[in-house]
Amino acid sequence: MRVATRLAPIELSDWQGHPVVLGSLWAERPVVLVFLRHFG
Amino acid sequence: MVVGNGSQHFAASFREDFSLDAPLLVDPELRAYRAAGLRRGRVEALSPRLALNAVRAFRGGARQGAVHGDPWQLGGTLVFRPDGTLGFRHISREAGDHPDIDDVLAALEPGAPAVDESEEPDPRLAWLGRTLGTLLDPTVVLSFDRTGFAIHSLGFDPDDLEVDLGGKRCLITGANSGIGYESALALADLGAEIVLLCRSSERGEEAAERIRQQTGNPRVAVERLDVSDLSAVAALAPRLATRPVDVLIHNAGVLPDERQESPDGIELTWATHVAGPHLLTRGLRSALEKSPDARVVWVSSGGMYARRLNLADLDWRERDYDGVMAYAETKRAQVVLAELWAERLAGTSVAVNSMHPGWADTPSVRTSIPTFHRLTRSLLRTPAQGADTVVWLAASEAARALRGCFVFDREPRRTHWLPWTEESTQERAQLWRQCEDWADPFASG
Repeated sequence: MRVATRLAPIELSDWQGHPVVLGSLWAERPVVLVFLRHFG
Repeated sequence: MVVGNGSQHFAASFREDFSLDAPLLVDPELRAYRAAGLRRGRVEALSPRLALNAVRAFRGGARQGAVHGDPWQLGGTLVFRPDGTLGFRHISREAGDHPDIDDVLAALEPGAPAVDESEEPDPRLAWLGRTLGTLLDPTVVLSFDRTGFAIHSLGFDPDDLEVDLGGKRCLITGANSGIGYESALALADLGAEIVLLCRSSERGEEAAERIRQQTGNPRVAVERLDVSDLSAVAALAPRLATRPVDVLIHNAGVLPDERQESPDGIELTWATHVAGPHLLTRGLRSALEKSPDARVVWVSSGGMYARRLNLADLDWRERDYDGVMAYAETKRAQVVLAELWAERLAGTSVAVNSMHPGWADTPSVRTSIPTFHRLTRSLLRTPAQGADTVVWLAASEAARALRGCFVFDREPRRTHWLPWTEESTQERAQLWRQCEDWADPFASG
């Protein structure tokens, strides 16, 4: 299974608490997703 | 788009602190991290590279605040495209391992190739394996240290070292201090004839005198040798080879702060840990084969687990020099080289093995990595405990059958904990060729 397929349905919230479905991020244009090690 | 794994509260302040304009998502349950196949684990997170980056940043005035989120989680960078293909993927293997920004930008260009995702195992399985590894990792600390020795030594057979080495001849490099000294002392105590091969005649002579006095064994000699100096090795080997050699212990080691070269222009850790010992083994091969039961022991390091065999930039011309990394990479090379020698000497009387002493309180550790020493002093093994496996490999009947093993606390151990440290057959062959290329100009007969 593609990474995109696995990630697309996952819903996270943004820094203000709004929900974001990951798949929506790249629905119209490519997106760079940077995963941090940790905050700070 | 940035994803972090702390809580929302910390995400907001992180965004402010770092003047981050990009949208920030939070994934405290690490669901997206897991699905993306990102890595996690103590060994990875606490890499030598991270420690050095931290030291450098600290010297540069940077101060890291409290860490929020999972401290063992590693990051990564992926480019997703509307058609569901992956334009770029960089999975951080250790902290401080970041992708090249140009590669990321190139993946955003229209028509850029997609990452091949066929035949990939489900990363969630790998995740499970790594999580288990993380749970087991504490046993590394409780294994390399003195607790480990206490536990492992419960299984030692005390009769293994109830041997008389009278008539045996043992050569030990770097034998005037630390593990080399303790190995020499123990072997002299078992009655062997000892030759200490030391850079300094004076320090060697002092060590020899202490060994003679402590053991009452007068047959302890010193030969001056800087094992990184191939001409010196080539000059001494024939003199050492006039009589059979029963034990050869490659113990001498260096951990330089800055890139240094041997007299032959080889980077110093490669010269000391690999090129010199290889030439010495070659020069003593026939003398070893004249012994009915010869042992060659390579004293490596547990640090080698962190690195893979790396022959791409032996000279450290393409990377900023990093002594700890150079040390670990050449310690890995020693383990591979011991296996290669064991293959070549199969069917002879010569058993070749490598070992690691665990974390011992030796002068090298004290001076080369003082912070590590200060933090871990109470846990460190004594040099004699570190030398136990060296002596066991050199002297015991039980070790006679071991060939090409990597031994720790008298037990053969796996040589890889991390899948990406595994070298290919070609790289192994390349290491042998490289060693032969170094040695050939100095070969006699």
